[in-house]
Amino acid sequence: MAALEVRDLEVRFAGLGQPALAIPELELEAGARVAVTGPSGCGKTTLLNMLTGLECVRHGHVAWAGTDLASLGEGPRDRWRAAHVGLVMQDFHLFPGLSALDNVLLPQRLSRWRLPAGLADEARRLLDRVGLPDPRQKAETLSRGQMQRVAVARALLARPDILVADEPTASLDAEAGAAVADLLLALADETGATLIVATHDPRLAGRLTRTLRLDAGRLI
Amino acid sequence: MLGFIAADLRRHWIGVLAVTLIIALAVALGVVVTLQERALRLGSARAAQAFDLVVGAPGSETQLVLSAVFLQAAPLPLMEGDVLAGLIADPRVAWAAPVGFGDFVDDHPIVGTTQQLVGGLGRLVEGRTFAKLDEAIIGAAVPKEMDARFHPMHGQPQGPAEVHGGISYRVVGRMAATGTPWDRAVLVPIEAVWRVHGHGADAGHDHDHDAAPKPRGMAEARQQHRDFAPDLDAPINPAALSEAHAPGLPAIVVKPKTIADAYKLRRDYRSAHTVAVFPAEVLTRLYGTLGDARQVIALVAYGAQALVGAAILLVVVIHVLQRRRQIGALRAFGAPRAAVFAIVWLEVLTLLGTGMLAGFALGYAAARLVSRVVETASGIALPVIATPTDAGALIGLFAVGALVAIIPALLAYRQSPAAALRG
Ligand SMILES: Nc1ncnc2c1ncn2[C@@H]1O[C@H](COP(=O)(O)OP(=O)(O)O)[C@@H](O)[C@H]1O
Ligand SMILES: [Mg+2]
Repeated sequence: MAALEVRDLEVRFAGLGQPALAIPELELEAGARVAVTGPSGCGKTTLLNMLTGLECVRHGHVAWAGTDLASLGEGPRDRWRAAHVGLVMQDFHLFPGLSALDNVLLPQRLSRWRLPAGLADEARRLLDRVGLPDPRQKAETLSRGQMQRVAVARALLARPDILVADEPTASLDAEAGAAVADLLLALADETGATLIVATHDPRLAGRLTRTLRLDAGRLI
Repeated sequence: MLGFIAADLRRHWIGVLAVTLIIALAVALGVVVTLQERALRLGSARAAQAFDLVVGAPGSETQLVLSAVFLQAAPLPLMEGDVLAGLIADPRVAWAAPVGFGDFVDDHPIVGTTQQLVGGLGRLVEGRTFAKLDEAIIGAAVPKEMDARFHPMHGQPQGPAEVHGGISYRVVGRMAATGTPWDRAVLVPIEAVWRVHGHGADAGHDHDHDAAPKPRGMAEARQQHRDFAPDLDAPINPAALSEAHAPGLPAIVVKPKTIADAYKLRRDYRSAHTVAVFPAEVLTRLYGTLGDARQVIALVAYGAQALVGAAILLVVVIHVLQRRRQIGALRAFGAPRAAVFAIVWLEVLTLLGTGMLAGFALGYAAARLVSRVVETASGIALPVIATPTDAGALIGLFAVGALVAIIPALLAYRQSPAAALRG
């Protein structure tokens, strides 16, 4: 399981005087359940982008189990993320025109010539696990709650040891949001993955074991 | 990957269809120009094959060839009547046959000539050759039955015409298709043409226009013309061609015995009274002009293709920019960067390839259609033939397109996934 070590992380955007994110030191143990909270614009998404290697670490270090993302180029970072990180975003980023099953399989399909044997079955199992009745249903015909559950299944297909969700319940109604929150927690438990969730939702944050409160890019 | 591309294209099918169609039309334009120009060159060369040397009165050489070989209706100046006799007697000449115009039946030209030219043009598939003056041989594309009788019309088929009511020909033979304007022609003995127009052996006999009482007005003149009925119920008399007072002719087709003879004849018959031309040579000159025209048209076609290419690129770039969230998201969820590049590149190549294939088919079909129309109108068979060079040109075009398509693919490739997710 991955343990995270952050040192001297600083993110600046052109035109902003203050750094958007400044974290001198942060450590998470493997398998942690972490909420990242704070007002809108405080830097939650920026932090998650750094932790998942979606953006290049220019200042400081972000090391997962000893792998410093700051030292990786763009291609290796993509590969590292594909191998270790499952992502769930506020907007589900499903592809209309493809079935739920094809959406779950898509990143893997694009990563290799042939799907490894059993991966499609695993995807079906995950869709069943997240409670989707018909894996062949087209993505655009799903309800929003179902869409997010498909996104959760997709995030888990490659068996990541880090599960990251950015406001996963923000665009869902309370009931669907609660269902997705349940799923994230349960699946993180089942897989033993480290779970990091940026959220406004105090009920979701309350169910995680640790809360990182951000304000203007700083931990408080 | 391919399944994803297919689903993606299917989802944007209206845009995909529009872009493919535009590519297809641009390609078709170029294909038609290339194929038709080639067809015209091949077709006219084939049409001129039977015509080694054409002798006419001094004037436009091009017009002489267009009239004698392609049967284009145009008034030609006449040669003296003794030129044909001289050619027939010439030891360097295998055969020489007159080509005399004037009348039409429906819109088929009636050409007066002799058996030699009939033999030179091809063979008969039905019936026999003409033996009497009122017998006619029809080209393959003339819709008449054997034994059918018809009255010739004087003048242009489109312009004011007079029916020679008192004259009728009988169809006795049909020629094999030659793919030349002669397929649309009706061949009659030249003597008959002379007699119908008031010349020839028994011209003074009773029906000469000049001998008739002077008409007192247009209507009466027309009536006289309609009623004019020379005697065509007579066998062909080959000696009539060589008579000293034979009527003038617009053109004579000459088959020289050897190539050397052909050059000598051409030299000898380039004089103050006659002009001799190799139709092939005149055609070559025409192709030169045609080639210039083709180049202009080809430039327009290439220009259109370049514009289409630029427009397509723009459309694709805008499309990629609009979809950068989707595409960037693929990388965030674990798709390799190369896959993102490949998706965009292959999508553009699919559009391009489909459009180009459709365009080639469309252009080929259009060229065939143009050929068909020209063929019905002129009788000249315009063979539409695609060659390996065409495939080469298309592959070249595709390669250029593939290179240009790298631009939007790179745009997608360089798209930051984080920015893509932010939207
Ligand atoms: N690409 C960018 N360019 C400039 N400023 C940015 C960029 N991305 C984020 N920011 C700024 O950084 C701050 C943190 O943004 P973000 O991490 O999205 O906040 P949160 O996710 O907590 O709402 C905001 O002030 C935002 O405007
Ligand atoms: Mg955010």
